[in-house]
Amino acid sequence: MSEHLFEVPELPECARGIPAIQVRDVDFSYGSNQVLKNISMDVPANEVIAFIGPSGCGKTTLLRCFNRMNDLVPGARVTRGSIVIEGADINDSSIDPVQLRRHVGMVFQKSNPFPRSIYENVAYGPRTLGEKRKRTLDEIVETSLRRAALWDEVKDRLDDMATGLSGGQQQRLCIARTMAVNPEIILMDEPCSALDPIATAHVEDLILSLKEHYTIVIVTHNMQQATRVSDKTAFFYLGELVEYDSTRKIFENPAHKRTEGYISGRFG
Amino acid sequence: MQQHILKDFDHAVSTLRAEVLVMAGLARLNLERAMRALFERNLELANAVIADDNEVDEYERRIDQLGMDVLVRFHPVASDLRLVVTSMKISMNLERISDHAVSIAKRARKMSEGAELPDVTLLEPLYTLADHLLRDAISSFSDRNAVLGESLGARDKELDRMHREVTALFGSRIEESGRSADYLHLILIVRSLERVGDMAANIGENAVFLDEARDIRHEESRKHSQNNPG
Repeated sequence: MSEHLFEVPELPECARGIPAIQVRDVDFSYGSNQVLKNISMDVPANEVIAFIGPSGCGKTTLLRCFNRMNDLVPGARVTRGSIVIEGADINDSSIDPVQLRRHVGMVFQKSNPFPRSIYENVAYGPRTLGEKRKRTLDEIVETSLRRAALWDEVKDRLDDMATGLSGGQQQRLCIARTMAVNPEIILMDEPCSALDPIATAHVEDLILSLKEHYTIVIVTHNMQQATRVSDKTAFFYLGELVEYDSTRKIFENPAHKRTEGYISGRFG
Repeated sequence: MQQHILKDFDHAVSTLRAEVLVMAGLARLNLERAMRALFERNLELANAVIADDNEVDEYERRIDQLGMDVLVRFHPVASDLRLVVTSMKISMNLERISDHAVSIAKRARKMSEGAELPDVTLLEPLYTLADHLLRDAISSFSDRNAVLGESLGARDKELDRMHREVTALFGSRIEESGRSADYLHLILIVRSLERVGDMAANIGENAVFLDEARDIRHEESRKHSQNNPG
């Protein structure tokens, strides 16, 4: 488990070698509309996993299951199966979703910094967890911004408004903000879809450097991005997990015709 | 295979494949004409082979350009990527085969200046085998036939054996025949045919990679080093 800059209520300790996320026989529905069917997969710790597939295939829904973001959608629920993170079934009634999200952070498609200073954006999470010591907060902000490869660009203007940063910098700030509460897993939902190629390269470089400390699951529509950043790739279609293997295998010699059709542009 | 969403991609890839097949046809034709020039002491044919090699070189350049174009524009993956990579590698082998045809043609031209040498006919079985290897290598690529592609390595070993035998025979005749220059030409022509067999086997290996994404190159030496570490 990664080092803790301050105390966070713990889920059961993750043993070495045990997958960061274990998904078993999961069905998921929005009301009567079943969107995930019998999904089983292991997400290994300290690897980057890419979810790919056409729009509506269920990849974002599964991503949002990992930190129970779907709880916020009326009628949305896991109807069967289990998702185990650090030994605990996260859909168990004893699990507090707010606490879960401290362990499983999320970065969204569009960067969404708070309308506050750069410093306050990163310090926000630790503050809400009760951290008041200025020195500790300074350390967390610096460490998080360094890990997000943003420190050198903003260290002299930490009090400037975060909304004044470029799109790519804002997205890296959001990643820093996610890291500030020291999660084990970071979920990324198309984090570069609104970024230009240079900003995308910075975020991808960041993703690769972060896997030493975090397990990262990324939803992407960009096949090249999946090949560049991920160790394993999962291809979803119509709510089913069609194929899940090393990224190299998926993009060089996929086992399923449907996977090859999708990744090579022969689909539909 | 199902059509690509981008029609341009399908067009580019089918053009690439077609160019490789045309180039293969030309390289094989050049080899055949070079050997006929040798067997029939035909100067015109030999000159034609030497002149037409430029066309094969031009195909190699065009195939590389097409391959690069597909890589840059479409970022192909899986079997599409393998087709581009193998096309470029195969064209390199075909260009070398045509170079060997030129080398044979030049030697045929020189040999036609002297008296006929009956031992030239000893090259026929070697050429036949090399030509069949090349023919089957091209088929293994065009039909994506890994089984045929993989079989070429073993058949190339037979060509290697014949090469050794005929080379030893011609070596012994260099001294005793008094026509050392001609026998030296024949030894180097046999060497060219042996190299054509190697390149056909290379193309077969590429066809296996294209069909099944399996890299069978240097398998024997790999197995050997695994069995004898250090």
